[in-house]
Parts: sequence; C-alpha cells; structure tokens
Amino acid sequence: MEIPFDIGNISGPENARVAQPEALGRAIKNAKRPLLVVGSEILDDDLIEKAIAIGKKGIPIAATAHSMKGFVDRGYTENVHLTGLHELANNIESRDWMGFDKTGGYDLIAVLGGIYYSTSQFLIALKNFATDPIVRCISIDRYYHPAARMSSVNISRKHTDEFKKMLDKVIENI
Amino acid sequence: MPPSNIEIEALKNVVINIGGIEEEEEEWETMGPTPMPGIADLRNWDYKLLKRYKPFYAPYCEMCCFCTFGKCDLTGGKKGACGLGMAAQQARFVTIACLMGCSAHTAHGRHLLRKVLKIVGDREINMGTGINIEAPLTRLITGIKPEKLSDFIPVLEYLEEQIAQLLDSTHTGQEGSNLDYESKAYHAGMLDSLGKEVADLIQIVAFDLPKGDPDAPLVEIGMGCVDESKPVILVIGHNVVPSVAVMDYMSDHGLDERIEVAGICCTAIDTTRYSQKAKIVGSIGRQLRFVRSGVADVIMVDEQCIRADILEQAKRIHAPLIATNDKALYGLVDRTNDSVDDIVAILASGKEPGVVILDPVKAGEVAVRVVQITHEKRKELVNILTDEEFKEYVTMCQNCDANCIVACPQGLPIGEANKAAAKGDTAPLASLFDPCVGCGRCEQVCKKHIPIVDVILKASLPYVKSEKGMIRVGRGPVRDTEIRKVGAPLVLGTIPGIIAIVGCGNYPNGTKDVYRIAKEFAERKYIVVLTGCGAMDAALYRDKDGKTLYEKYPGDFDGGCVLNIGSCVSNAHIHGAAIKVAAIYARRNIRGNYAEIADYILNRVGACGVAWGAMSQKAASIASGVNRIGIPVVIGPHGWKYRRAYLGRKYVDEDWVVYDARDGSKVQIEPAPEHMLVAADTYQEAIPLIARLCFRPTDNSMGRQVKLTHYMDLSMKYLGVYPDDWHIFVRGEADLPLARKEEYLRILKEEHGWDVDLEAKKILSGPVRKMDVGFDATNLEELIKKNK
Repeated sequence: MEIPFDIGNISGPENARVAQPEALGRAIKNAKRPLLVVGSEILDDDLIEKAIAIGKKGIPIAATAHSMKGFVDRGYTENVHLTGLHELANNIESRDWMGFDKTGGYDLIAVLGGIYYSTSQFLIALKNFATDPIVRCISIDRYYHPAARMSSVNISRKHTDEFKKMLDKVIENI
Repeated sequence: MPPSNIEIEALKNVVINIGGIEEEEEEWETMGPTPMPGIADLRNWDYKLLKRYKPFYAPYCEMCCFCTFGKCDLTGGKKGACGLGMAAQQARFVTIACLMGCSAHTAHGRHLLRKVLKIVGDREINMGTGINIEAPLTRLITGIKPEKLSDFIPVLEYLEEQIAQLLDSTHTGQEGSNLDYESKAYHAGMLDSLGKEVADLIQIVAFDLPKGDPDAPLVEIGMGCVDESKPVILVIGHNVVPSVAVMDYMSDHGLDERIEVAGICCTAIDTTRYSQKAKIVGSIGRQLRFVRSGVADVIMVDEQCIRADILEQAKRIHAPLIATNDKALYGLVDRTNDSVDDIVAILASGKEPGVVILDPVKAGEVAVRVVQITHEKRKELVNILTDEEFKEYVTMCQNCDANCIVACPQGLPIGEANKAAAKGDTAPLASLFDPCVGCGRCEQVCKKHIPIVDVILKASLPYVKSEKGMIRVGRGPVRDTEIRKVGAPLVLGTIPGIIAIVGCGNYPNGTKDVYRIAKEFAERKYIVVLTGCGAMDAALYRDKDGKTLYEKYPGDFDGGCVLNIGSCVSNAHIHGAAIKVAAIYARRNIRGNYAEIADYILNRVGACGVAWGAMSQKAASIASGVNRIGIPVVIGPHGWKYRRAYLGRKYVDEDWVVYDARDGSKVQIEPAPEHMLVAADTYQEAIPLIARLCFRPTDNSMGRQVKLTHYMDLSMKYLGVYPDDWHIFVRGEADLPLARKEEYLRILKEEHGWDVDLEAKKILSGPVRKMDVGFDATNLEELIKKNK
C-alpha cells in the first residue's frame, strides 16, 4: 500500500487505488467531460510540456496558481483557462457552473503539478461534496493522493525522468 | 422598579440585599440594536453573508472522534451516530478552532488586566489628542465607552460568558446545522476581535506603548542582530508583562547596555513597543532554529505559539527556562513564592532545568540575574555543528527520501541537498533555511538520526549571521485624524484599498512572499498595514538601496505607506480603522450597532486581509472576525487545512443583489467583493486576487479606474494575461483606465460582445449596471430609508 506524500495526510477509511499510468490515461480518455487541473509545479522540470501534450489531445486545462504564465510563455493558450484552485473546486461543486466553455460541468478531474497539500484538500472537497452529479478525481502527479479515486504513486524528484516516462504513458493512453 | 416609600420602622426580620449599584452612564451616543449580542442576535447578518459567500468545505479529517459513539465515518454523505453530517461536523470543528483562538486572545486580555491593575493601578484610558474613538470594537459590540482600565471588566465578563455559551454549542447533541455553526464561528471571530482590542488597549495604556504614532521608532530584527558577546535573554510568546519586567529591572540597575533581550513572536513586537533596547529575532518559524543556535543564555516564555518541547530544546543548549504563565507550565516546579536568591541559585547551578514563576516582576528580576551567571558558564559551549560534524552528517545521509521528505510539511528535498553538501556544495541546503518552517519533524523520522535542523542551520550560517532587517515598532491604533484624511478616498476608491497582512509564518515558500506582497501594494499606493509574524517577516528584506519597507515608506495610515500596527492583538486596530471610517467619515452611530457597520464596511471599504502563513487557531478566529465585519481575507495554501472557506459564485446573479437604501429598490451588482475567505497557492496568484477583492459596489468612477488599472496590470505582470472577469467590474466607459481605454473598449466589444461605439468611446450596453453616484448600497432591509 502506498503512503501519502505527507505521511500524516490520512483523512479517513477510503483511500485512492494505486493505478498504472495506462489506466489513468484510459480514465481520462473514457470520461465524457474531463478537465486537467495543473498548478505551479508544472513550471518545474519542464512538466508543462506534458500538460500541453495533454491539452493537444483535446483535454481542457485549468491553470491554477501562476501556471498560466508558463502556457503564455510557450505560446499555448488554446484551451487553457485561468482560475484559482479554491474557486475551481467551488465551481465544480456547483450545479450552476457551466464549465469554462459554458456547456456544462466536468465528470473527471485529473490533477498534475499542484502543491501537494492544497491539491489534497481540493481532492477531498470534491470527493465529499462534488457528488450530484458525481465527479471522479484522479492524480497523475508525482505524489500519491489518497483523496483521489485513482492515483499514481509517489515518485521522488531524483527520479523525475521516471515520472516523465509515467506521464508519457498516461498521454499515450488518452 | 418604581419609586415608593417604605417605613423602615415597620420592618422586622427582613434581610435587605443590595446588588451592584449601576452608575448613570453618560449618553455619549444612541444605543444601537445589539449591545453585547448573544449567539443568535447577529444571525440575520450572518445568514446574509452566508447566502452570498457559501461555506466551502475541504475536510481535513473525514471522521469524528469527539465522543464514544465513534469513531464515525462521515464520508459519502453518511451521518455520525449522533446524527451530524459532514458539513456540520466541519463547521463545528471550525467553530471550535475559532473558540480556541478567541479564548487565547480573551484570556490574554484577562491576564493582562489582572496583572496591570496590580502593577500600575486603574489608569485612565487616554489615547492622546489624535484619538477620540479609543475603543471602536468595544463601543461597537458592547456599547461601552471605556474610560479607565477597569471598565474592561464587564467587557471581559461578556466575552467569557459568550465563549462558554459557544463552546457548549459544540457538545454532542447540540447544533445540527452547518450554517448555524458558521454563524457561531463568526460570533467567535467577532468576540476574538473584541478580546484583542481589550488586550492591546490594556497594554498600551498600562505600559505607555505608542498610541498611533506614525513615526514610531525603528528597531533591529533578524537572527543576525543579536549581540552574542553579551548575556542574551530570549523571550518567546505573546504576553508582554514579564518582558516589561525584564526591561524595567535592567533599566533600574543600569544593565541596559550589558544584556541583550531578544524576542520571538508577538512578545518580541510588544517588548520593542515598550523599549527599543530590545531586539526582534523574528517570527515563529525562526523559533527552533534560533534556540538551537545556542545564542540564548536564558529563555523566558509567556503564552501562545511557544514550542511545546521548549524545555527539551532549552536543556539541549543548557539554557534555563522560566515559564511565566499558568497556561504553559511544562511540568516545571512552581517557585513563585520562593525568594529570588533561591531561584537564581537553583537555575544558575542547573539543579533544575527551569522553573515556573507566575509573578512577572519576580520573573523579570530572576531572568536578568540568572543570565549574567549562565552567560559566563555557557561561553565554552558550542551548539552549532562543527565542520567535521556537519560533513559526517551530510555524508551519512543516503538520500533515501523515505522519511524526511514525507514528514516535512513543505515536502522539502532534504536528501538531495544533503547529497550536494556531501560533495561540497552547501547552497542547496542553505536554500532550505527560509522555506523550512522550523518544525523539526524531519529529525524524528531520519533512520540515520541526522539532526537535520542543525545541519540546515550550519549550512545557512552565513545567511543567518547577515539576517538583519529593520522594523518600525508597533504603532498601535489608527488615529481619528488620519481617518478624516483618508475616509473619502477609501470609500470612493481613489485610495484603492487597505491591505492587511497578518498572521503566522506557515508560508508555502518562505518569508519573502510577504515582503513581495507588501512592496507591490505599497508601490501602488494602497495602505499596507501589517501585524504579528507578517509584520516581522516583511522587515527582513532590503531593496537595492539597502532600505527595508519600514525605512522606505512612511508609517502613516495613508496611500503608499507601510504600517506595523503591532502584535496579533493589535489586529483589532485594523477592524478599528474600518469602523472609524463609518463613524467619522460617514457619521454612522457605532454604539451597539454591529450589523449596520459591517454592512457599511462590506459595501464601501475596500480592504483585504492577507494571512499568507496562517497556521494557528488564532488565525482562524482572526479571519472569521474580519469576515463578519465585511472584510475578505486571502490565505496561503496551507490555509486549505482550516477545512472551510467562504466563496462566492459570481455567475449566480441572485447572490449579487443589494438594496439601494434611498428607495428600497433591488440592484444587481458586480461581485464585489467576490469571496470572503479564499486561498491562493503562490504569491503570484495571490497579488491579483487581493487587488480583485478590493472592489466595492460604491467605488466612484475614478476609484474604479484606479482599482481596475491595478487588477489588470497585476494579472498581466504575474499571470501573463488579463483576468477573464475584469469586464464585470466595468459599469461604463468612465470606469476604464484612461491610458488603455481604447484597447479595453475594443476587448469589451470583440471578446465580450458588448455594444460599444469605438469612435465615440462609449459603451452602449453590456455592463451589469450603470454607475450611480448616489447609490446607497445595503444588504439590510432595516436600513432602507422608508423602513426606518
């Protein structure tokens, strides 16, 4: 069993299932309305290129923290939407919110490159309160996120290359 | 009781009890509807806030273990054995956290009052010529106008009774509604603000601290500012009375220049308000590191924000510990009634590692006498790792990433930094010094038993030695005279806002963020006020000319100024400034009139709190109190862990309707302010968000232009794009910043579909509403003029 990246972050009896990157990719592919939520850590280690690759597969991107600047600098803003993580969670929980494209909410949220602890709280909020209709959350991050439904495992920064290969497999399966 | 004649001679075997004699109070202002409000008295106002700013929950724990029915699993919509659901449990937890914070400030005030009445007597409250409204929160909440220190006794009694009532409501089998728990959390927050005002005014009056002095003196701050060649007394906590006794004893005995008094946390701020001979080490994040540095020859603690293992840490460096407050005794022997000579002998000999002395004057004398002895004894001690020890430890590290990184609240890459240090590059380790919050969790889990805090400290020593900033000592309240000057520009928006940087040091990426935030808004002519850890941490950095923020910017309450208001309890003066705007500029009665004043502030005073490193329960109650009075707060990413935020939904039109008090008509407004409590992940995200939360419905066109300019500029500067919602704050072409009017009009037409005459530079349709200079926005039906 994987441990949370912040070891004390065990909130309750239900924890995320560890999933292989192929399964994570397929979950995104099979969703009707997926959304990739990225944070400031995608500006490290060129992870933004992986986010852009996912965006180019047609998955809309919610750019939280100041990650938007990275997309602007790389000239990719096609389906990238500026938002705050807190505001986004509040919107996802709301039946009144019609998504970034004004056509409806999202049924699957994938997180990548957010600060561990705020992303964890984001996920646990959605787990408990984005329930009507249900919104499924997965982590394709370098952290195991117990509050997600499915999550990748913890991958140390010293193994960033492995992490990027894992992301490539996710992307291949979208 | 109606007057009547009683024949005393006719009475036999009658016992007459005479209760307290009530003095006729001067009718200084008409009493409002809610003096000393109980739990439910401001519920109507709370529900108005909660309708617009709905509670958002992110459970930190999905279970409840408060009673023996449990543990109860509340996930998936399940209720606990008592019937409470997840939302109400989260709100209940927040209420309890707010009560802890509120109790800390209130009990602090009670303790101060007891001590100072003994030490200085019942002094008159005279705040000087610039301050007539001496206690705006006390007047607003209780209806009392305090004239002497003992007038705070009924205020404290009110606070203590309300705290007991609120805590009762959190017992199993009481409140069942999350919204009513939120109302109770608001109530605790409001009480917290009152408790803070009481505490700070008591110490200002008793110890003659600055009374709103914009030119309060500058003092040194930083781990590098302490002169280690002298005996060093380290004071930690929030309750300044024992530290005042230290300063007095030193002064009385000609020791001012021979002993260093250095402080951590709010006691440090308050000690420098009393005597500029003292120095400030820094905020809570520096505590463990400074103690471990071994510089202190005596450690004296009072209350709040002290490490619970302070005795163990003090023993480690062979510094005696003096505990001075019954809330934090650490298992030490109470020697309050022993003679000073005996206590000094015990501590100097090391027979006991520390003592409890609950008499602050005695504690002050003991500290000063002991430190002169222990300094000599400790001269030979080396507490910083030697070069050899350092090399041995970093080489021992296997960079396993198994334990330290998952124990670190920040997830810092300790192993990689150790590995680099083993190869001779200490820069990565040194770079961890500032983002490290100094908790020490890493050390406890290291399989190699590496003292990681010490290793980082050793690597950072050149930085630590050079950490020397300057801070203006806490000036205390905002003067009425200052409010007269800025009231109109604040309400109209031409001073774009008050940015109140408060709270603890649990930052996501180190102390510099608060400096950056304060600097950005000071440069843009906002009024930047700071208290507590935020005030200290912003003082650590210098610009290219070598000036800190407090040296560069004036300390007045005016646009483009940077003010250290004081310690955590001085936060109350930020509420006080907003209340004074209503009282002085708008001539509203404030006495017992909470809801009206909060409504005024919400709609008119563009203020935004920033608790970037919020950590404690006090920070929870502070934010709730600020929110109830109508001021939004931005918290850092650790703030998610408070479990609850108050977030608006700008796309739900019905949430953004207010009354025009002139005729009672309903007016659709822009979401201003959009949220009450919201987190940001990085300072780059926070800065434009803070600017956004300074919009108010009553901004005039000039004010809206100024606010829009900053919002757009800051978004472009830090996020690389214009915000996607700027257009909803535009009520007409006059709101658009002149320099970019054409560009913005084009965007409104092309991207937002507004009907714009580009040639005439006119907006024909599109805005939510038109600008109306007479608009008298209110959320309260009772303020509609025809209802009055």
